[in-house]
Amino acid sequence: MKNVIKVLVLGVFVMSLFTSCAKQPTQEINDAKAAIEAATKEGANIYAADELKKLNDDMTAAMDEVTTQGKKFFKKFGTAKEMLVKVKTDADALKATIPAKKEAAKNAALTAQQEARAALDEAKALLEKAPKGKGTKADIEAMKADLKGLEDSFPQIQAAIDQEDYFGASNTAASIKEKAVAVSDQVKAAIEKVKGKK
Amino acid sequence: MKSVPLTFIVSSLLLILAACKTPPAPPEVEQAKTQENDLWRAGAPVYAAEDYANYLQSLRFAKDRLIKEKAKFGWFRDYEEIKANYLVVLAEGDAILRKVKEEKELKSRDVSGRLALLRDRIGKLKKVSLTMNENAPVRRNLAQAEVASQEVEILFRQEKYNGLAEKIKMIDLYVVQAEETFFSILSRYADEAQVEQWRKWANETIAESRKKGGAAILVNKLERTLSLYRKGKLLAVYEIGLGKYGLSDKLYAGDEATPEGKYRVVKKLANSRYYKALLIDYPNEEDKKHFSQAKRKGLIPPRAGIGGLIEIHGGGNDNITNGCIGVEDKVMDQLFPEVGLGTPITIIGSLESAERLLASLRKSI
Repeated sequence: MKNVIKVLVLGVFVMSLFTSCAKQPTQEINDAKAAIEAATKEGANIYAADELKKLNDDMTAAMDEVTTQGKKFFKKFGTAKEMLVKVKTDADALKATIPAKKEAAKNAALTAQQEARAALDEAKALLEKAPKGKGTKADIEAMKADLKGLEDSFPQIQAAIDQEDYFGASNTAASIKEKAVAVSDQVKAAIEKVKGKK
Repeated sequence: MKSVPLTFIVSSLLLILAACKTPPAPPEVEQAKTQENDLWRAGAPVYAAEDYANYLQSLRFAKDRLIKEKAKFGWFRDYEEIKANYLVVLAEGDAILRKVKEEKELKSRDVSGRLALLRDRIGKLKKVSLTMNENAPVRRNLAQAEVASQEVEILFRQEKYNGLAEKIKMIDLYVVQAEETFFSILSRYADEAQVEQWRKWANETIAESRKKGGAAILVNKLERTLSLYRKGKLLAVYEIGLGKYGLSDKLYAGDEATPEGKYRVVKKLANSRYYKALLIDYPNEEDKKHFSQAKRKGLIPPRAGIGGLIEIHGGGNDNITNGCIGVEDKVMDQLFPEVGLGTPITIIGSLESAERLLASLRKSI
């Protein structure tokens, strides 16, 4: 009789052991999903698109492993759990890197904005200094109008920064700077033209 | 003797077990994984969104079948069907990759073509804008268009074709604004009645020169030329510079426009601020009439006077005058002995309607 009881207890123990191993890692799944969502929300889709894609792929692989084990008679979710925990860890790590990347993009945009401003101011100053004499007055007026057009475009940089479109802001700033530098070069050429005539 | 069949049975079972070891998943599974990444990197979600979504569904189906198969005991797994499923997925993916490549090339050609056309329009407008002093609003729009086109160029280099349509629309908008401003400045020159009056003035001036055997000057603002006549015959044509708003008719002091009308030389200045000068009798009776009418209608500042001191002077033809007609010093040297007090100087907008010019500009722009 004692032996029968022992066998029964052992049986119950073994069954419970299997049951505990067969539980789907729901918590880990939710944690991993939430971590990816948080990273995306932080801006990973803009500032770390490749890394985010890899995370999503890893998540899919982990979920495939969960599904595979779920269909098996002897379910072992150990590997799936490990995969999910890694996804969460990686997502958390990725999320942590985003503010720095965002800040770097913002700083780059602000620097580009300052450079564009400086280029515009330099062109304006050069225009003021340019001799408005014979052969240059019409050119100077035309260039003044060109600079006014660049000034009109300048607020687009800040608008993009305000919308956190730092890459767009940098592009606009770079374009304005290039055009302003071109005007400066034209002014310098006009000054040289006058010098040459003297 | 009994141990022989037992050994045989055990050996056979072991052999069968060995033969039925878990088969590996087909290599197409890994290939599909790589391919999906390649598709994503190539921009399939953007350039072939629908096909990519269908592809992902097919891949999901194949993966689900693989999972189902993997769930079986190793001995019972058969990947033949799975392999076939994955081969279909791979073929689908290859087709999408080709499509993405084609789509990108198409977009690239489309964007570069449209950008080239817009830049051509900007370039032409910039060039013609230099022929008029009232070009500030045109050039402002063109500068904005150039900034936007530069941005498109940057995005184009980054192969970000999809965000470009809006930017290109913006460039087009700036260019259209510039064109409209340009054409509105020139619209008076396309008014046939106005041009007819200018022709009449020109003919009368040349006829007077022929009749009296003297000199006459005809200034054509649109052509930017000064023509010298003697005895009704054309002696020379010179390039001129005009006021800041030289294409407009002068109405009051400080409007920096160049007057249009029939005038005469009232003073010859051998030592002018601008080398030599021929002072004309602006404002004439017609100008005074227009000035009074405009003042009554409130079209000019209440305190503005009608102005005066309009000259043909030296100093160069590419500068901006305050309404006078500027020529090179050597031209003044040639004009001075030919022109006397009372010589008719007629300033017109154009001898030909600018309608044709505008049409050709619109076509070329």
